[in-house]
Amino acid sequence: MLILAGPVGETEHDGGAHPERPARITAALDGVADLHLGSDLVTVAARPAARDDLLRVHDAEYLDELESFSRRGGGALDPDTYVTDSSWDAAVRAAGAGLVAIDALESSGEGTAFVVVRPPGHHAQRDRGMGFCLLNNVAVAAAALVAKRARVLVVDWDVHHGNGTQEIFWDEPHVLYVSTHQWPLYPGTGRPEEVGGLDAIGATLNVPVPPGATGDVLLRAMDDVVAPAVEEFQPDWVLVSCGFDAHRADPLAELVLTSGDFAALARRAAAFARSPGRLVLFLEGGYDLQALRISTAATLGALVGGFPAPEPPTSGGPGAEAVRSAALDRRRAVEELSDRLFALDSLDAPVTDRPRRGLGGAQ
Amino acid sequence: MRGPARIAVGYDGSRGSEAALRWAAALAGSLGAELRVVHAVGLLEHAGLASLSVHEGRAREVAADEGMEPNRVEWCVLEGDPGSVLRRIAEGPDPVELLVVGTRRSSVHPGLLGSVSLGLVACAPVPVVVVPPTHRGR
Repeated sequence: MLILAGPVGETEHDGGAHPERPARITAALDGVADLHLGSDLVTVAARPAARDDLLRVHDAEYLDELESFSRRGGGALDPDTYVTDSSWDAAVRAAGAGLVAIDALESSGEGTAFVVVRPPGHHAQRDRGMGFCLLNNVAVAAAALVAKRARVLVVDWDVHHGNGTQEIFWDEPHVLYVSTHQWPLYPGTGRPEEVGGLDAIGATLNVPVPPGATGDVLLRAMDDVVAPAVEEFQPDWVLVSCGFDAHRADPLAELVLTSGDFAALARRAAAFARSPGRLVLFLEGGYDLQALRISTAATLGALVGGFPAPEPPTSGGPGAEAVRSAALDRRRAVEELSDRLFALDSLDAPVTDRPRRGLGGAQ
Repeated sequence: MRGPARIAVGYDGSRGSEAALRWAAALAGSLGAELRVVHAVGLLEHAGLASLSVHEGRAREVAADEGMEPNRVEWCVLEGDPGSVLRRIAEGPDPVELLVVGTRRSSVHPGLLGSVSLGLVACAPVPVVVVPPTHRGR
């Protein structure tokens, strides 16, 4: 069963000729329709996220400023990111859609949810929108689950690093944030040495890959670097920042994946979920409409079964060495931070009850 | 105490960044320091949907106007958000000793439009100077 939460952004938050545009939602919905799921498709309408839900991941001042800016007609937050008079309402509903998806999955106890919303969210930081993103949709959902004492894995395969999600959960030991992304590329964060703060050492995992990387490189990252960390972390929920801008047709980046690669990545993400009904995918980037449509169909088709990806998976591109070195750099950074934490704790008397993390064993 | 020998300034062609560049160039010129003018390439610029072609020429013109020798001005283009790019410049193998940024801070929306500079002030490993957009140079 597929639970579709939304859509949000089919008409609102329209920046004109900007690539992050309402037609993206239509394309994603067309991809869902291509699956012909019939009664196996359940659509749940988005509701606005409550202010308390937003305050778990965003500062009150930023929320107030963003709402005020939008209500006054908006403008440019930065050279990439626009706000219109409908952006605040769209962003709050987009942030709430993930919460609706979680509720629906908890009620059904089975299935997969796809949150079809825009504006996207993974670049949005606590106090700042950027990179087309205003509110961090996946972070709002993850924080709500953590508030219910769940352990949450966030897998981000958008071609850009999710700097906002990383920042928000930097010191949160109950969220394991994993990102594969092109490097170098916007936003310029996501190095393997970025492994989390002292309260969550190893709970951030970054695998940057070079332009031209193919699907097999990302699968290697998932199998060799991510899977051991996930096995140790034991998540209750798996949330995916599901961007499709790593597709070879996408105009904003230079990875060369196909829809078949996204299908394979989706199967990996599903395998990380320990129980049925605990996998939620959030639409992030993806700016070529046809690639977005077929990648949506392939990804969801791999999860609900019975829909072959329209393009074969790719292999042979550069990046295997980058994955290997990412594992080594990560391990080194985790060890250094752990040593620093040990030294700090040695100075403290009595010993603090700070949570300890040790996810650095992943190779 | 000696002054910084290497100074970096963020520049995106905006009025605020030009004010920062003027201030940084004047300081670097007076100290005999090297000036790194750093342009962060965003999402749209990377895709060719926004142009950076005018930036370098204008930046060099402004630096010269403030008395900088051309051979002490380095133009750097890096992929990323301005905040993360400037931090990398400050943390890299050949780090600068001072960061200079402008601000688009407005009295109407102070939180939204000034947070790059605020984030740098909070996290940068070197001193940061935030120049108001009203600075006009010499």
